[in-house]
Amino acid sequence: MAESRFGRSKILFTFIVLCSLSAGCLTSANSRYFGETTPPKDNILRYVSGGEIESLDPPVTNSQPDARIMFALYEGLVEIHPKTLEPIPGIAESWETGPDGTQYLFHLRKNAKFSNGDPITAKDFVYSFRRGFSPALASRNAYLGYYIKYSEAYNSDRSFVKDKSGNFLLKADLEPKKDGGQVTEPAAAQSTGFGADTEFNKYIKGPERLTVPSDKKERDALLAKDAKLSAAVQGKEFVPVKPEDIGVEAIDDYTFRLTLYQPAPFFLGLLSHQYFRVVPEKVIEKYGDQWTRTENIVTSGPFKLAVHRPYDVLKVVRDPNYWDAANVKLDGIEFYPLDEATTMMNLYKAGSVDALYNHTVPAAWFDEIKQFTAEYSLQPEVADEFYVINVKRPPMDNVKVRKAFALAIDRVSLAKFRKTLKPLVDMTPEGIFPKYEEVREKVYSEELKKQGSSLEEWKARIFEPEKARKLLTEAGFPVTPSGDGFACPSFPVDKVNITYNTAESNKAVAEFIQAQWKQNLGITVPLKNMEFRTYLPLLNKVDYDGFARKGWVGDYMDPYTFLSLYYSENNEGSTGWWDPKFDKMLDDANKTVDTQKRFEMLAKAELYVMQQQIIIPLGTNTTSWMKKPYVKGMYPNPGTLFPWKFVYIEPDPSKWTTDMDTIMKDDDPVVTAQLAQLTASQDAMERSKATKAE
Amino acid sequence: MLSFILRRLLIIIPMALLVVTLTWGLIRIAPGNFYSSEKKLPPAIEENIRKKYGLDKPWYQQYGIMIFNVVKLDFGNSLKYQGQSVNEIIGRHLPYSATIGILAYLLALVVGLSAGIIAALKQNSIWDYGSMALAMLGLSVPNFVFGPILVLFFALGLYWFPPARWGGFGNVVLPVITLSAIYAAYIARLTRAGMLEVMRSDYIRTARAKGLDEKTVLIKHALRGGIIPVVSFTGPALAGLLAGTVVVERVFAIPGLGNIFIQSVLNRDEPLTLGIVAFLSILIMIFNLAVDISYGFLDPRIRYE
Repeated sequence: MAESRFGRSKILFTFIVLCSLSAGCLTSANSRYFGETTPPKDNILRYVSGGEIESLDPPVTNSQPDARIMFALYEGLVEIHPKTLEPIPGIAESWETGPDGTQYLFHLRKNAKFSNGDPITAKDFVYSFRRGFSPALASRNAYLGYYIKYSEAYNSDRSFVKDKSGNFLLKADLEPKKDGGQVTEPAAAQSTGFGADTEFNKYIKGPERLTVPSDKKERDALLAKDAKLSAAVQGKEFVPVKPEDIGVEAIDDYTFRLTLYQPAPFFLGLLSHQYFRVVPEKVIEKYGDQWTRTENIVTSGPFKLAVHRPYDVLKVVRDPNYWDAANVKLDGIEFYPLDEATTMMNLYKAGSVDALYNHTVPAAWFDEIKQFTAEYSLQPEVADEFYVINVKRPPMDNVKVRKAFALAIDRVSLAKFRKTLKPLVDMTPEGIFPKYEEVREKVYSEELKKQGSSLEEWKARIFEPEKARKLLTEAGFPVTPSGDGFACPSFPVDKVNITYNTAESNKAVAEFIQAQWKQNLGITVPLKNMEFRTYLPLLNKVDYDGFARKGWVGDYMDPYTFLSLYYSENNEGSTGWWDPKFDKMLDDANKTVDTQKRFEMLAKAELYVMQQQIIIPLGTNTTSWMKKPYVKGMYPNPGTLFPWKFVYIEPDPSKWTTDMDTIMKDDDPVVTAQLAQLTASQDAMERSKATKAE
Repeated sequence: MLSFILRRLLIIIPMALLVVTLTWGLIRIAPGNFYSSEKKLPPAIEENIRKKYGLDKPWYQQYGIMIFNVVKLDFGNSLKYQGQSVNEIIGRHLPYSATIGILAYLLALVVGLSAGIIAALKQNSIWDYGSMALAMLGLSVPNFVFGPILVLFFALGLYWFPPARWGGFGNVVLPVITLSAIYAAYIARLTRAGMLEVMRSDYIRTARAKGLDEKTVLIKHALRGGIIPVVSFTGPALAGLLAGTVVVERVFAIPGLGNIFIQSVLNRDEPLTLGIVAFLSILIMIFNLAVDISYGFLDPRIRYE
């Protein structure tokens, strides 16, 4: 036995020696940078891009990680600004907005080419837009373009209604007439002469036509419910909406016109989404769904595909046919499809990768990592986290109860606990839309004064336990002091839950909030966790009790992307709440061309919905990703999206990034010069418009 | 013997279909679908998707189509990765898992067998206790702990090997060691137990009584009987290793089949899940058959009816 004990202690000894040895190695790398920091010699960026890409067909891809790769391979009418994400010229060198805000005219560059050398013309954009809405492609992103006239009708397989004399039934024919008079055809005269006055333009600018489902069963069901509609379409012909009927037009090879239903001031910003990027017609028609294979693929962006080994690497190299190839600084990018946080941190530390995607620093590493300010970014994102409330089921149907729960969370402590979250009490994330926030502050203080409250009182909602208890008592659930804390015995705890999708961070937040409510209200709300895809239908059907976790990432840089969550009866807000008054407020705002006025109206709408407290905001998400200091032109912008042609590798350590917190404000002469060159054409266009207006 | 093999091979077909049917049913019961995300889709878009993938057909029709395709060994295209067929995906990722798996098993065999034999021959010595203690450690330390510890020492401390990703020989070392640990430990214990039992049996005593030298007794007689438990273990173990191991593949970012399998379930990518399940079940049944056949060669007392 003595021998065996000796054996074990020897093993233990070796183990300790090994431990101390490597611990020594680990701490010896004590410098201002995290781990190995040597620029790659071959001018190829190595980027960890998240999960494996679904497809290389832009409208088919969906997630943010996929978007990053699409941005390297394809370009659209507009590109994103590397810091603000606002639209800057892409294949369109300039654009104009029509006087009524429903039309856009894009002037394309004459030297844009696909990776096989074919020129990119307005016809390619017409093809790409039409294809995106094709029901056969079944793109999940199609809704992004529903602002384009008749695109939704085509995408959802609907038909126009034509009478015997060849006239189409109009939407206005079925709406209650305001002055009792017959609706005539005023719109043809409305044609503004914006761009060339073509036949197509007369049609598309004409009054909106009525559409009904093409599918007979579906249509009959609809007609059975609506006697007026049924009478109107009686004996008329149903003409399916074709791709040629939607509001996109190539006026000539280099002029592209877009027509929307109504003004959508944010729509230009949406056009940088991969869904709207241009794809090669010839290749797609030749190879069908096999066109994205490495041997067939033809792209339109600054880089072209070199190697794709799924789950291993996707490598792109600079495309010499790209119109701006001279300003593409990297020779290539290797995207590594990894989503295991520890693994990518290891690779980063060993110097095998140069940058990581967002939300990748594990909680356990946070305290060590945050000191590397030259590499770690913690900036607000156009995304937030909140609990939705099922407002249809008691006791949460009472707005006082909802407010009580919202007020009883100490958001400052929550942000300290969940380090990558910034406190939030509003619907739109904080620090993302500075111009809007400025307007909103003014609107809030005026509106609240009218209601007999004040801005200070409104802002205090970050944590007000006293008021929360008072509200809950008023709602009929008296909160009484008990021992060290409080008790609320009459509250039906069995009727509420905190439901969340299984994830370490969601669990931690739920437990924190559970503890807050226990401490401040004396109510212990049960927790319920679920696998993601089990959880989604529950959320979409609003089939949960009490509270459910939700996060939202904005599609574009405008507060409307958050407010529209609760727009229309079939909204995706997951709360069961709908209010036509709120819809009208948003519609009116979007019809307003003046930005300042529009923001005022949106702010009023936000106040209106927040006073209903249908959600409990928890925090604004932050970027939380790392890049090596020698990677430049890559900014912690609110979407963690990059126009890759701005990114470069700086071999000279004296020019490396020193602080990720100030990098957005610091001037990088290389980037500034490139931006100036790129935006010159649009600036000239705006200047000439301004002089014309004078 | 031949009829035995034929019979066993034929059984594989209904068994595989049964496994596929059960999996299909389970996937259908599981809530959620492949196209759902935090953004709720407009009903028209959802309908377009359902039409495109034939999900609007009645379930028995969908089941019929699925079984018909499985019989043809064609699982169709993945739902998540558009334009890629399931067979192509399996074929593409199997070699990664197989490389790691086979190397790990070979390493486990070398280490496990030697440790086990030594422990059995020098029973109750420091060698015995030492190797069995190590085996105990190998069994009880999970690979999601062992892998990162190896990375910490050898990749981030000593910089001997890359911390992750596929590439040259250096990339394979750490995952293979991580993966082999538990198998080596298992094999060592099985070998030791098997050898100890055989060494006490009558036919070994007879062999010794015949005056054979110890080496011949050990290699020709004892080892053949002693490693039968190891062989039984090898069948399913090797099949499992070929199909990939999720933890090691995720820790070391290896594009193997195990990770794809798990992702396919999480993505509700039905054809891919079914394809891998069918492939895996057939693989396991074939390996089991191979194990059963090999018994006959190892132990002359075993006969096939």
